[in-house]
Amino acid sequence: MAGLLELDGLSRRFGTVTALDDLSFSVPSGQVVGFLGPNGAGKTTTMRAIFGLTDLDAGSVRWNGGPVGATERRRFGYMPEERGLYPNMLVGEEVEYLGRLHGLDTRSAAAATKRWLERLDVADRSASKVETLSHGNQQRVQLAAALVHDPEVLVLDEPFSGLDPTGIDAMGEVLVEQARAGRCVLFSSHQLDLVEDLCESVAIIDRGRLVASGTVDELATSGARRLAVRVEGDRQGAWAQGIPGVTVSEMDGGELRLVLEDSTDSDVVLDAARAAGRVTEFAFGRRRLSEVFREAMGR
Amino acid sequence: MKTVYILAAGAVVLLVRLGLRRKGRGRSPRLEGPTRARRDRRLPGGAGLVAGREIRERLRGRLFRVVTLILFAVVAAAVVIPTLHSGTATREKVGVVAGTPPLDTELQNLAKSVGLHVELVREPDLSAARAAVRAGRLTVVVDGSGSILVQNPISSTDTSTGARYVQAVATTLGAQQAFAQAGLTPEQVAAVARAKPWPVESVHPGKGATTTEETTALLGIILIFIILNQYLTWTLMGVMEEKSSRVVEVLLATVRPVQLLAGKVLGIGVVALVQAVSLVAFALVLAQVVGSSLVHGAAPLVVAATLVWLVLGYAFYSWLYAAAGSLAERQDQVQSLALPLSAPLIFGYIVSLIGVSSGHASLLVKVLAYLPPTAPFAMPTLVGFGEATWWQFLLSVALCMVCTVGVALVAARIYRTAVLRTGKRVRLRELVPTLAK
Repeated sequence: MAGLLELDGLSRRFGTVTALDDLSFSVPSGQVVGFLGPNGAGKTTTMRAIFGLTDLDAGSVRWNGGPVGATERRRFGYMPEERGLYPNMLVGEEVEYLGRLHGLDTRSAAAATKRWLERLDVADRSASKVETLSHGNQQRVQLAAALVHDPEVLVLDEPFSGLDPTGIDAMGEVLVEQARAGRCVLFSSHQLDLVEDLCESVAIIDRGRLVASGTVDELATSGARRLAVRVEGDRQGAWAQGIPGVTVSEMDGGELRLVLEDSTDSDVVLDAARAAGRVTEFAFGRRRLSEVFREAMGR
Repeated sequence: MKTVYILAAGAVVLLVRLGLRRKGRGRSPRLEGPTRARRDRRLPGGAGLVAGREIRERLRGRLFRVVTLILFAVVAAAVVIPTLHSGTATREKVGVVAGTPPLDTELQNLAKSVGLHVELVREPDLSAARAAVRAGRLTVVVDGSGSILVQNPISSTDTSTGARYVQAVATTLGAQQAFAQAGLTPEQVAAVARAKPWPVESVHPGKGATTTEETTALLGIILIFIILNQYLTWTLMGVMEEKSSRVVEVLLATVRPVQLLAGKVLGIGVVALVQAVSLVAFALVLAQVVGSSLVHGAAPLVVAATLVWLVLGYAFYSWLYAAAGSLAERQDQVQSLALPLSAPLIFGYIVSLIGVSSGHASLLVKVLAYLPPTAPFAMPTLVGFGEATWWQFLLSVALCMVCTVGVALVAARIYRTAVLRTGKRVRLRELVPTLAK
């Protein structure tokens, strides 16, 4: 199953607010793509645009080179940011109903419902009303509803928010499994470590514009050199301030992450570190996704 | 009796309003079958599935079952009670002491004139008759020598059939005795007794006796009002709940807004129609069994007109209520939206009720019968009075259908634009730029 979801020049204004500004990126099949951006950057609007839930002023969404219409969308799976299920319906019936809306016949919808509820560990709640489930279990049911029709494209808005570690693991496994099975998987999240672990690629937007995109490896290895330095007893990293051509990127549990300009000699940094104390770590490393994100935001 | 019907209708509407929060219940899903998902090639479109879900969930709801039971009970009471009333209250046992054939004839004639059936029982003397009245075997005793005996005193304000009979007997026999004492021959007395009052004519039409068709029309517009109130409220609440629970975003990711809207309107409409048809069928069968006059004359035509206008009324208003539901997210917002929408509905209902009660169709009712918001009440009223020809009826139907199409188109645009706007109640003026495109 190979496919490509393309977002091409999406633009959308709400009054004076620009939600999407000529946004373009693509989601290839077989990959988990992380969709990042600060609050209000336009992530939800983008996802809604994929499903035709918001009108576009310009641009288009394409699936395998063709326009996305009602027929194509029935083969997509969607998990919106604000979870949406009928609170009074029974879990099993609700998932089955949503499967039927996506075009499954009755028997297939029932079988797929059973399979996904079991896979997500909520099969024992099949005959319960949705409103009686915990937040985490409702989230699992919502994921089952997005997956029940075996979609070719899976779009999830903040799927991990509010989940406990077990739930995060279960949901992460499913997303990776879907990508390995050849689906396009796009999800948004603010949990950058999680995105780094799960995703092959990311797209980062700010104020509706794409500010960075690529594979996690490309983004991690591109840009200026990174140094991770740990000086015994040092928690402030004051010694690194003022070294020409060196910028402090992050301070994480005593590990100071530095960005070096091309002209900067790493020995100068090592000398400064030694002068501050015993150096226990000094290594060139990859950019973390959090660093990619901050730098893309210009912060 | 009309007052009773109207009060009963009010009680049912109140019950529906109080019980807006229905509870759904259901069975476990069928979980067998192959695990490989198949596409349904026979899918009639999302609207069919949406309508199916609406029908299933509504029929399962406790509120639906309770209201349906109450409505059946009210209909049964409305059909049966009048027949019980006519069967028991108009048959009395009247004792006669020192009776004569002319007296018996007079007593029977007087009974007939007040709508009473009497069985005359000969009593040997007044003391035996008194004992029979005390024992409750007789309600009235007429002593041919010039007195009347009853169980309890009759007040001047008592308008029951029995009281009117006693008053008529006392007055008539007293007058006849006076005529005889004045020297009139028996023939002259009989001639005086046959005297008919002069006819009194009014320049304005007055309220004649209520016809079967008028009573059926009254029950019909009450039924339309109750059903429309119940199901339009469900439509409004249903759309609002889909929006507030955010499930609408999941649904609209796979079905078009117009499919979702049409499915909801259709599903709830089917439930409404099934309930109404069941009630009407029940009423007709029951009326036949108990010998009610509801099925006589042109009443079946009025019943058919009622059902036609129930469907048309629901079709017209349901789109508006659904669009209004898409503007709101909370119950308090729904109340403020429902009020202006229900105003023309209530106006048409009240004007039609007054029309039926007054016994003639006013000019206002005749005008309202052609306006789609009020026609569902006013046109069945005209049919009840026999004042609507077939072409007038069809003209009103056509006008309503054309307007319903227009209303549905506007409502679908409002719905599509508003249903995904969350956070606060959407004002119509905010939608004007989008609707104007």
